[in-house]
Amino acid sequence: MDESNDDIDQMFSNLLGEMDLLTQSLGVDILPPPDPKPPRAEFNYTVGFKDLNESLNALEDQDLDALMADLVADISEAEQRTIQAQKESSQSPYHPAPLEVSPFSGSATPGYDANVVATSISQYEDDLPPPPADPMLDLPLPPPPPEPLSQEEQEAQAKADKIKLALEKLKEAKVKKLVVKVHMNDNSTKSLMVDERQLARDVLDNLFEKTHCDCSVDWCLYEIYPELQIERFFEDHENVVEVLSDWTRDTENKVVFLKKEEKYAVFKNPQNFYLDNKGKKESKETNEKMNAKNKECLLEESFCGTSVIVPELEGALYLKEDGKKSWKRRYFLLRASGIYYVPKGKTKTSRDLACFIQFENVNIYYGIQCKMKYKAPTDYCFVLKHPQIQKESQYIKYLCCDDERTLNQWVTGIRIAKYGKTLYDNYQRAVAKAGLASRWTNLGTVNAPAPTPPSTGLTAGTAQANGQIPQAVHSASAVLEEAQRHVDTTKDKKPALRPQDPGTPRAQHRPKSGLPPPPPVRRSSEASGSPAIPAKAKAAGFPAPPDDLPPPPPPPPPPPDSNDAPPDFVPPPPPPFVGDAGPLPPPPPPPPALAPEPQRPPPTATKRPPVPPKRQENPGPPGGEQDFMSDLMKALQKKRGNLP
Amino acid sequence: MAGMKTATGDYIDASWELRVFVGEEDPEAEAVTLRVTGESHIGGVILKIVEQINRKQDWSDHAIWWEQKKQWLLQTHWTLDKYGILADARLLFGRQHRPVLLRLPNRRALRLRASFSQPLFQAVAAICRLLSIRHPEELSLLRAPEKKEKKKKEKEPEEEVYDLTKVVLAGGMAPALFRGMPAHFSDSAQTEACYHMLSRPQPPPDPLLLQRLPRPGSLLDKTQLHSRWLDSSRSLMQQGIRAGDTLWLRFKYYSFFDLDPKTDPVRLTQLYEQARWDLLLEEIDCTEEEMMVFAALQYHINKLSQSGEVSEPAAADPGLDDLDAALSSLEVKLEGSAPANVLDSLTAIPELKDHLRILRPRKLTLKGYRQHWVVFKETTLSYYKSQDEAPGDPIQQLNLKGCEVVPDVNVSGQKFCIKLLVPSPEGMSELYLRCQDEQQYARWMAGCRLASKGRTMADSSYASEVQAILAFLSLQRTGTGAPGSQPQGLDASAEGLNPYGLVAPRFQRKFKAKQLTPRILEAHQNVAQLSLTEAQLRFIQAWQSLPDFGISYVIVKFKGSRKDEILGIANNRLIRIDLAVGDVVKTWRFSNMRQWNVNWDIKQVAIEFDEHINVAFSCVSASCRIVHEYIGGYIFLSTRERARGEELDEDLFLQLTGGHEAF
Repeated sequence: MDESNDDIDQMFSNLLGEMDLLTQSLGVDILPPPDPKPPRAEFNYTVGFKDLNESLNALEDQDLDALMADLVADISEAEQRTIQAQKESSQSPYHPAPLEVSPFSGSATPGYDANVVATSISQYEDDLPPPPADPMLDLPLPPPPPEPLSQEEQEAQAKADKIKLALEKLKEAKVKKLVVKVHMNDNSTKSLMVDERQLARDVLDNLFEKTHCDCSVDWCLYEIYPELQIERFFEDHENVVEVLSDWTRDTENKVVFLKKEEKYAVFKNPQNFYLDNKGKKESKETNEKMNAKNKECLLEESFCGTSVIVPELEGALYLKEDGKKSWKRRYFLLRASGIYYVPKGKTKTSRDLACFIQFENVNIYYGIQCKMKYKAPTDYCFVLKHPQIQKESQYIKYLCCDDERTLNQWVTGIRIAKYGKTLYDNYQRAVAKAGLASRWTNLGTVNAPAPTPPSTGLTAGTAQANGQIPQAVHSASAVLEEAQRHVDTTKDKKPALRPQDPGTPRAQHRPKSGLPPPPPVRRSSEASGSPAIPAKAKAAGFPAPPDDLPPPPPPPPPPPDSNDAPPDFVPPPPPPFVGDAGPLPPPPPPPPALAPEPQRPPPTATKRPPVPPKRQENPGPPGGEQDFMSDLMKALQKKRGNLP
Repeated sequence: MAGMKTATGDYIDASWELRVFVGEEDPEAEAVTLRVTGESHIGGVILKIVEQINRKQDWSDHAIWWEQKKQWLLQTHWTLDKYGILADARLLFGRQHRPVLLRLPNRRALRLRASFSQPLFQAVAAICRLLSIRHPEELSLLRAPEKKEKKKKEKEPEEEVYDLTKVVLAGGMAPALFRGMPAHFSDSAQTEACYHMLSRPQPPPDPLLLQRLPRPGSLLDKTQLHSRWLDSSRSLMQQGIRAGDTLWLRFKYYSFFDLDPKTDPVRLTQLYEQARWDLLLEEIDCTEEEMMVFAALQYHINKLSQSGEVSEPAAADPGLDDLDAALSSLEVKLEGSAPANVLDSLTAIPELKDHLRILRPRKLTLKGYRQHWVVFKETTLSYYKSQDEAPGDPIQQLNLKGCEVVPDVNVSGQKFCIKLLVPSPEGMSELYLRCQDEQQYARWMAGCRLASKGRTMADSSYASEVQAILAFLSLQRTGTGAPGSQPQGLDASAEGLNPYGLVAPRFQRKFKAKQLTPRILEAHQNVAQLSLTEAQLRFIQAWQSLPDFGISYVIVKFKGSRKDEILGIANNRLIRIDLAVGDVVKTWRFSNMRQWNVNWDIKQVAIEFDEHINVAFSCVSASCRIVHEYIGGYIFLSTRERARGEELDEDLFLQLTGGHEAF
């Protein structure tokens, strides 16, 4: 056991060494997947690396903190799995195996402060059995012992479950991880661990939690190639690790976390893309006025049919000639199958068109300062290249538009053609996330009087929202006394649903009740609808989640744990305090680390083994675990000069 | 009561003689004469007719048709006076349901009984119920085009006509499924065959036939079709259709609601067929690249439907399959041997090592293929000067993930090449691998294809991929192995793949078959994994993605303009198109439409849009009834909601599309 502890130390130092490399030269690097050792060799890591001190010095404080928080979260999760697997293998084979499917999503790794980390460490010290399987290492886990399988009376179901679990673990063991340095828009950076299953959406969620930003749909991960002077946003469904692994080792490329309106502009104002009559001014005028309902319809029509409709787009663009700095003007058309141009002397009927490029193997980028670099006619350039190409090459295509509007239309059009409905799904998920986030923030604010004050970002909003509550209650109660009562009783639990921004009680702006109410955060500015009519003012008191029904007459106060009722939330709300209906203060905002592990609500786990008694069974010696953690702590303190 | 006589035989009441012809084919053949009064009810008259005919027969479907007024006398409690029938009325007593020859979207002929008395909307709904096509509101009937120059070719090949005239459908409810098809099809072998014809894609047409069929040469020609639509609010009889006439059944409104492969096998197939014929007959234009994809999909669909892999509901979810396969393999391993071996076999990734000839095309070099020692492991291809140098550094190492793999094969010439276009940070590198024989080619090709998708040869699909490639090669060989059996123009390419039946004739003129074949095969690579229904859906989606999709053209004259122009009607908009150039002049969307009116006297359609935009035009190529019905029909279709299911608001439809009865 001691040996393995040392190994873990070494492993961690390896990790830090690697991070050192990162901070020095790259934004991103790949952790070398250590060779899988034969299963019995337990946890040996034999990768040679730089020494600890140097790497620690190279790291900035907050990087280390954040990274450590991630590590803790990862480890604890992995441990849980291991525990479960162990328990289960030691149990009778009749028992259905727990199916651990919780994907390691961003919601599982909240940004802890250092003290939170400490708490959770002590927690684990008490609870956890020895083998700290670190998921970032390529470890094939030992398969379940074969004896139980040989029993004839075993049910096929149990076996299948077990195999699934084993498969899951095998997959788990092979997960590749990257430490990504993300540049913030205030020039600071954050390092975070991204595993290869994470999509851009997960990383964004992760960043939301770390930065306590407003979770608006405009936030995106932005990929910048300084050398090629191109950049683009990650689509939310893209696999981050996959994209980043195309970068070369010595790359200057960066990932930036910033807001870009262009990302989902098409869903906010579809008319600018779908109804634009090729630059005619009159249409532009009318477009601005399109109301929300028509936008809904237009989106529905374009994205929800059997096939997605790609905006009709055509016009003269400049094309950079391969390998030269000269630009040729050609007439291009966008079709679902690719970009086409009109060959000389031909018409723009379908049969005459020549294919310029198809989208399967290329990504779309914005070109930056192409005027300077390539003598482009304007600076409104877009670039198509295979994601793996990292250097200048004749296979990169540069196109140049006359103005920004055209540029955005082309880029968006190409994205629609390339990604189709996925784009719309992404948007809806982002909206849901944004709406949820605003609710969460409010939940946090209501909790503020509770003994445990939440961390930074949440407290900031407290005063505001607290001031807001009585107002909202008032407007609601103007209608029905009953409603008042309801609000009173649910004050503690429900106000999370109240919009965050005091200026716009959005719920009142909901359009006609027949329509699905638009998710709260989106297009708050254009919610210019008539002020709520009395009948609906009542509804305003209980703004529904986006997928909710038109409000019925005020129901009896819901049971206290109904605040985690909406089933489709991505990160599960904190575990309800079961069986406690009293005036007890609601749980502090994001407490998963503190929650005793059996109660952790796994987001997707469908089957769970009966939990309670097992903790005693496994009081395992916390040896390796403890040492690993204390080493981490030591490293931190050393870094801060607390320790010589 | 009627027919009281005096002793001398004179009639003393107000009765008169009414002559009614019986039968539908030849009305003069049989006639009965009745004595009636103006007070007689239609029901009573029918009773008398039947009594006079005095034949045992099921008369329940019979009704009286008033020829001069073009009207069915269906209200049996109405009196003759109320209908205004006098002695000179020419009445025919015949069946309401009569056989017609339907030309389906897949161009096959089907004889069935259609209602001649109900409004066409209902008649089509009944036909669709019989054919088990959901959402009949999207379909309608057209008159068959008049046959020209019939005399030249008398020897039209005898075609098979399917017959459903004997099938009776219990009214109202959706037919239950029996043996994988609606119960009424499973009665006899004939009807079963008919169902297969309806629900399975047809083989590609003979290229020669394809060239002979009429194709629209211009936008003007495309308007012809739309002048033939029948009127939804009137019955077939009223529109001059006679028993036995040929009618076309087509999807009329290009707004396909709730298309579900599970419940819509016939609908999906017929839609696919209509899309395919649209493309083959150039009713809708597409680019060369798009045509190749369409051709590849057709080829794939045809292959699947011929190999009998039609019933494939289980194979719909490949992800599930993968898991199952993985599970079973893991299960075997877990039970079979010691755990250590399990891990070994799981982690061991198969690799390919062989001598292959490699060509790296470069500008200004004449170097040919050179022999190298090539190692293919995971997704990486490395090659060395010789096998001895293999432990050292390779000449080049390429990760094939994301690369383009193009077959370059000529079986008769024993050429088995794989062209690789591999992306790298510096750009793309091109590489040709030349294999010695089919076996080697199949193994390497399968590996390259998997690697390009980021999978290794350990993937469960590797073996099947190898088999598929081998099967494909053998197909090519049999194609060449039958000398002289191929018609001209279809040289060495595969028997399973006659490219000319898959592309529009203009591509037949543009390309040789051996130029087309590799391009279609290249496109086929991307769709080879699809199941039959998936492929059909993909085809329909690609069709819908064409810019000109779903536009019905009519020639109109806009108010205040002298020249003819084209009006395109799509499911969400009206398009004004310049007739000569084909450019879009203006688009109006239905969502901005306030109202539309038809002046039946001057045959003018007037439409008002938001912001006081008014448009008026008179219809030239088709009657304004057709334009009116198109607009109303699309408005109707946009009101459909998922919640309502298949229930049809027929009144609303007729209200939106009718309204010209007075005219």
